[in-house]
Amino acid sequence: MSVIHLVVKEQPSVPLEAECISPDSFAELSNDEIRALRVYHGKRQCRVDDFFDVDGEKSDHIQIHGDVGRVRWLGRAMTRGTLQIYGDVGMHLGAYMKNGRIEVHGNAGDWIGAEMKNGFVHIHGDAGGQIGAAYRGSLRGMKNGTIIVDGTAGIEVGMRMRRGTIVVGGKVRDFAGLQMKGGTLVLLGGAEIRTGAWMTRGTIISLKPIQLMPTFRTSGPMNPMFMNVYARQLGKLGIDLPFDRRSGSYIRHCGDMSIPGKGELFVWQS
Amino acid sequence: MYWGGNPAECHPRHFTKYTLMQKSKFLPRGRKDRTMALVDIRATKSAKAADIFLQVRPGKDFEMITILRAMVKGESIPESQIAETGLSLETLEDLVARMKAAKFGAIFFGMGLSMTRGKHMNSAALLTLAAEMNAFTKFVAMPMRGHGNVTGADVIMRWQTGYPFGISFNRGYPRYNPGEFSTVDVLVRGDCDAAFIIGADPGATMPQPAIDHLAAIPTICLDPHVTHTSKLAKVHITTAPAGIAAPGTGYRMDEIPLPLKPALNSPYPSDEEVVRRINQAIAKMPDWMPEGEPPMVLSQV
Repeated sequence: MSVIHLVVKEQPSVPLEAECISPDSFAELSNDEIRALRVYHGKRQCRVDDFFDVDGEKSDHIQIHGDVGRVRWLGRAMTRGTLQIYGDVGMHLGAYMKNGRIEVHGNAGDWIGAEMKNGFVHIHGDAGGQIGAAYRGSLRGMKNGTIIVDGTAGIEVGMRMRRGTIVVGGKVRDFAGLQMKGGTLVLLGGAEIRTGAWMTRGTIISLKPIQLMPTFRTSGPMNPMFMNVYARQLGKLGIDLPFDRRSGSYIRHCGDMSIPGKGELFVWQS
Repeated sequence: MYWGGNPAECHPRHFTKYTLMQKSKFLPRGRKDRTMALVDIRATKSAKAADIFLQVRPGKDFEMITILRAMVKGESIPESQIAETGLSLETLEDLVARMKAAKFGAIFFGMGLSMTRGKHMNSAALLTLAAEMNAFTKFVAMPMRGHGNVTGADVIMRWQTGYPFGISFNRGYPRYNPGEFSTVDVLVRGDCDAAFIIGADPGATMPQPAIDHLAAIPTICLDPHVTHTSKLAKVHITTAPAGIAAPGTGYRMDEIPLPLKPALNSPYPSDEEVVRRINQAIAKMPDWMPEGEPPMVLSQV
């Protein structure tokens, strides 16, 4: 399996928009053609090799080495292949992606996997806000796929998501699952305030006690069967979701009554 | 309804000219025909003018509006869960009943709502509440703007680009994403390498990292006065104060354009003239696009 290596040689002084760095566009291109692809440094049109050393060609496996914290739209709308990033990465990583795999060994910016349709994103560090969210003015966020963040995350995680799974290991900030329309949001490290505000449907699972919106109703403790299925699926990804009734149970809250929505929010209690 | 604002001290003519005192065909008794509710975290001077004063616990506006949205739809919220907003079920039920019974409701919200924790979502909550109230009666919501002509900036950007603020033109066409392109976020992250500021004083109001970045990059400031921003700017062009020594159009808070006639003469050029001359100078420079190609459109997928 040949891999295309991109090494950062010069830091952009303003954000670099590089939606061309994706397995789809690299797959059929020679090394020279990849180097000549167009990226936007602010308003200026530049070449990929103005900022990166490119090694390899004609492959849908890409590895990026170095801090790309100011590079936006990496892997935009990708449909296949892998994108591995060793360093921090900027906004809109994997936005609109349809398939493939993104792995970040570092921190990520806002809008990771925004409006993605399918695929897998794993951030080993912290991430910003609006993960898997809908863009402003758009009605639906991610439609399928999985996003895993090992560290913390920012505001509006999973805002208006429609389907799919988001797992955050650390604490998330305000408005997690805002206006959620479906899908699953797993908060292993709990959340700050207003979790699940205005949700219509979907499931939020928190393993830490969280402050609830006053418009949620408490149903009581339960160990739903589907949690076993979730636990088995997430176990394959290295995530330990408790489900055994001998070790505890989930308190189910439903809401948001202001919509009025049919969302459910499970808080683990051992 | 006033929410998170203090019109008695900040918009002193608002009651008498627009909301409370005016007599009209359908409200011939003026103030007596109207009900005013004030929601704020403390009893300001405006509370004296209000029929109902609701003291919400700081940072609980979003929760309170969400409860109201549920109650408007007939959902019952337990008293214990309402208590965290600092209000009682009875008070809110009374408020909802009055809102539904009103012939025409108007909500004005201030910085107490839009600049506290939750920010844009607090405003979104109130606007949604106003939209949903239209199932029962006519209801509108309007922000109480702060400085002179901020509405003008929003209105002009809106009809020129389709978006009111937080716009990037770097691909040759407007893109909107507050949080990514809004001024304070761009400055805090240090995304820009130059700044051009007209008729604003971010040096006095923005967070310290943003101010530090403004001081570090070439900042050009157009202002009639010496401000915090002009002190840290590399270039300060003194201009004539708009509406006093320079003509133009100002937009009132309710988006009514008002022509402004200058009362005084000024030796300084107006903002408009400075910008026009900068544009003329830029037009003489070579095109910035390398091959003269139009930028690629980042279209929806």
